[in-house]
Amino acid sequence: MSMFKLLGAFCIVAGCSYLGLRIASIYRKRTELFRFLQNGLTLLETEINYTSTPLPLALERVGQKMHKDCQPLFIRAATVLQEKKGVTAAEAWAAGVRALGGEVPLTKEETELLYVFGHGLGGSAKEEQVKNIALTRKQLSLVEKVAEEEQVKNQKLWQYLGFSLGAVIVLILI
Amino acid sequence: MAKVFINKEKNNECLSGMETSPLTISSLTWFQALSPQLQELVSEGLQPFVGEIEEIRLRVKRPVLFRVGTKEMTVTAQKKFTLQLEQGYVITKEDLEKTVQILSQNSLYAWEDEFKNGYLTIPGGHRIGFVGRGVLEQGYLKTLKDLSGINYRIGRQILGCADDVLPYLVKREQIDHTLIISPPQCGKTTLLRDLVRQISTGIPELLFPGVNVGLVDERSEIAGMYQGEPQFQIGLRTDVLDACPKAQGMMMLIRSMSPGVIATDEIGKNEDVEALYHALQAGVKVITTVHGSSFEEIKARPNLQALINWRFFEKIIVLSRRKGVGTLEMILDGKNLEKLR
Repeated sequence: MSMFKLLGAFCIVAGCSYLGLRIASIYRKRTELFRFLQNGLTLLETEINYTSTPLPLALERVGQKMHKDCQPLFIRAATVLQEKKGVTAAEAWAAGVRALGGEVPLTKEETELLYVFGHGLGGSAKEEQVKNIALTRKQLSLVEKVAEEEQVKNQKLWQYLGFSLGAVIVLILI
Repeated sequence: MAKVFINKEKNNECLSGMETSPLTISSLTWFQALSPQLQELVSEGLQPFVGEIEEIRLRVKRPVLFRVGTKEMTVTAQKKFTLQLEQGYVITKEDLEKTVQILSQNSLYAWEDEFKNGYLTIPGGHRIGFVGRGVLEQGYLKTLKDLSGINYRIGRQILGCADDVLPYLVKREQIDHTLIISPPQCGKTTLLRDLVRQISTGIPELLFPGVNVGLVDERSEIAGMYQGEPQFQIGLRTDVLDACPKAQGMMMLIRSMSPGVIATDEIGKNEDVEALYHALQAGVKVITTVHGSSFEEIKARPNLQALINWRFFEKIIVLSRRKGVGTLEMILDGKNLEKLR
């Protein structure tokens, strides 16, 4: 009988620790994501400003070069633009943002920031495109800082909290 | 005497039977460049004419017009075909905006120069022209805004349309300096394109082996370049200098690609005449076109007068629309101005 108890206790502790680690890793992922997004925008700027690549192809190329965590944003937007007739760049980008939100949790403000960027996408001359990208990149770097602070604060906490919670449950049950 | 070189049979043959089939309307590149709303109008209201549409004009707050040959027609909002142009579907500002969005692939920045020039080329080599309100920067046109009109010019390649003309231009392994005179929409670009293709590839019937052809395509109309790829067949030995000013382009080609023949569209400026002179010096043959309805009219133009008096062109071809697009009115010997046919 005690054998089963031990096994159960182990499962509870392991499960809770895993959960804690998962939550902790989300904080890390978010910080990384905002850093990658800034890189992505720099690549997009090159495509727009130097090679005048039309958006569907530009987004696809950027997507292929990106880390897999923020790939969905660019790839999804590119696919929507290529496949759907009469869709605007803003709509396609919004679809990309939603796909990204499915991978990594985003706050309402962060989603909004990305949506606003989409509204300026494609519909103007190079100069304006570059300005829009620069502005968004700046805002993303601020968001990255906030995310980093949260990561420092919460990552360790959740790593330990998961294990501790498991341990407490086991103690109560015993 | 006059002969129509772009006749119905040849036309169909070259459209490879696909363009006229209603089942494959959606595969036509110009059709894909229309907004979904207009696509419906065309596919339901104009199906029998789809293969023959030459021009589509969208003007804000006015009915959409389609030109088939010399006839203009339209489609009502109920998708019914009509010749009563006032009853046609009225184009809205949104229609134009949607169209521009599709044409530019949502990327206005990628077509800045094209907007400045007022036209762009789409896959298939068709040309889309725009008008709107100019935005100036230091007195120069920077771009267009508030677009109010869009014109689709549907380019067609008619392989073999130069067959009747070529025997007059080819002498053993030599091509004559040639001028094609034609009013707009009489097939001068189509004829030039086929001349380039055949001269470049070679003409076995005339025992002509083919030479390097340099094509200065200032308005991307002859080769229909789209992202660096010619959209029409332009021959094995043709080098295209796309979207380059004619005079500069001709000089560049002479230096860089050593062509045997240079082809270009619509000469007329002083510097063009100068460039022709350089071509002559370099021993390069020139085939070019000019807007005009008769040889007499061209002779009266100051810039061209010099060329004619100088007897630069060895052959002069005059086209008209008298018996359909591409009616061959006459071929003149440029040296003694004798009518050859």
